[in-house]
Amino acid sequence: MLHLIRKDIVLQKYTLLILLPVLFIDLFLDGSRIYVGILFSIAIIMQSFATDEKSSVHFLLNSLPYTRKEIVSSKYVGACVFISLVLLTIFIGNLVIHKEFVPWEQLLFIASIVAVFISLAFPFSYLFKSQYLMIASIVLFVLYFIIVAKFIPDLNDWIRGAVQTLLSLDDTLLYGGAIFSVILLYFCSYMLSVRIYSRKVF
Amino acid sequence: MENVVEMRNVNKTFKGFALKDFSLSVKKGFVTGFIGGNGVGKSTIIKLIMNLLQPDSGEISLFGLNYKNHEKEIKQRIGFVFDNNVLYENITLAEMKKIIKPAYKNWDDTLFHQYINLFELPMKKQIKTFSKGMMMKASLTFALSHHAELIIMDEPTSGLDPIFRRELLDILHDIMQDSEKTIFFSTHITTDLDRIADYITFIHNGQHIFTKEHYKIEEDYAIVKGETNLLDRDTEREFIGIRRSNHGFEALTTNKQRTQNIFGDTVILEKPTLEDIMLYTKKGTDHYATSHS
Repeated sequence: MLHLIRKDIVLQKYTLLILLPVLFIDLFLDGSRIYVGILFSIAIIMQSFATDEKSSVHFLLNSLPYTRKEIVSSKYVGACVFISLVLLTIFIGNLVIHKEFVPWEQLLFIASIVAVFISLAFPFSYLFKSQYLMIASIVLFVLYFIIVAKFIPDLNDWIRGAVQTLLSLDDTLLYGGAIFSVILLYFCSYMLSVRIYSRKVF
Repeated sequence: MENVVEMRNVNKTFKGFALKDFSLSVKKGFVTGFIGGNGVGKSTIIKLIMNLLQPDSGEISLFGLNYKNHEKEIKQRIGFVFDNNVLYENITLAEMKKIIKPAYKNWDDTLFHQYINLFELPMKKQIKTFSKGMMMKASLTFALSHHAELIIMDEPTSGLDPIFRRELLDILHDIMQDSEKTIFFSTHITTDLDRIADYITFIHNGQHIFTKEHYKIEEDYAIVKGETNLLDRDTEREFIGIRRSNHGFEALTTNKQRTQNIFGDTVILEKPTLEDIMLYTKKGTDHYATSHS
């Protein structure tokens, strides 16, 4: 399985070589660490997923001595590796440029949001294709606006408030709970993806 | 004799295509050519053998092992070549090697470079710039560089020029000097099989028509030519497929000796090619289908 993760890094080396320095520049210009971190992690992970989505690649990987479970596992573990790379860049970048440590809550927050996104996006992409994620997000986006307009007008403020409260809380129990939920979600998503992929016909 | 691949009573149903109660075995140490028209199930069977598809029911075992418990072990011992390119296109051959090499325990770098030199493949060029022949050579190199015992190829010669087709057949011939190796390959260029195939497996519409030793086909099968008035309901049963024209009829028999006994000198018997057999079998089953519907 480690070979498969290494393969993803080899294949994404140009993406990484371009995106990580850009992230560095962004830190230099004092951009929003959280948004950019989330965006970059998701972009790299989904790019790596999409590279392997052609049916010819499924043929190749499944003909090599790997099981389908290993192929799915490598994507989930690989996603964690890519998140760590982005977080590490943010951390080191901040240390070098601003001579300060990034609060660990912020790093954790980025990792959690990305993990939640991946948990939803991977099973969806295994079932359909990642190119339909765009359509699905647009549908969700519209639904969100309809909800905001018709039912809960202050949903935006409510979410912003909730994020602020979450970040300002230093209740370890709450953090523990949040981390635990994210890990649980990630694991369930993994189980679901393994199930979907083992039945996939390509 | 030992079988490398064993399929027993395999069923697989898709929309518009079904494999029913399919059984097949591939003998160790020989080249088996796998023939049949387009869309009769060749690729499906190859995918089933490679575990790229799971059967609805039935058993498939390779080297006497099943995929359920020994998937990686089996795949370690298989080399594969598909008719379309399965290599990543945006990287070079050197990078592709970095990806494939660690997957195999028995990877042999010397052998790999030997084939790269033989095929004159560039290591530092992106794979997407390769011609179809080069891509096939690259796939073949990967298939041959880890001492696979079973080499499975789906239409390896399609789209290749005649010179490279011959080279490829020579290479396969060399590989077969090692009696531990087995080659199973599908093709519809039947003349390729005349050069190297020991056994021919023929399927039609998801059915296994026969697996025979290559030389045996000529002994059993014959093209029969004669006057149309020889045909009646009884004699027609002797043939698989019949083609009538103003000058007489042409038909395929599966039992040369019996046909000789029945018709004697009134007909001419000729050696059939594999294409003849494919054509008449198709004609025969289509005819059977129309007359029974």
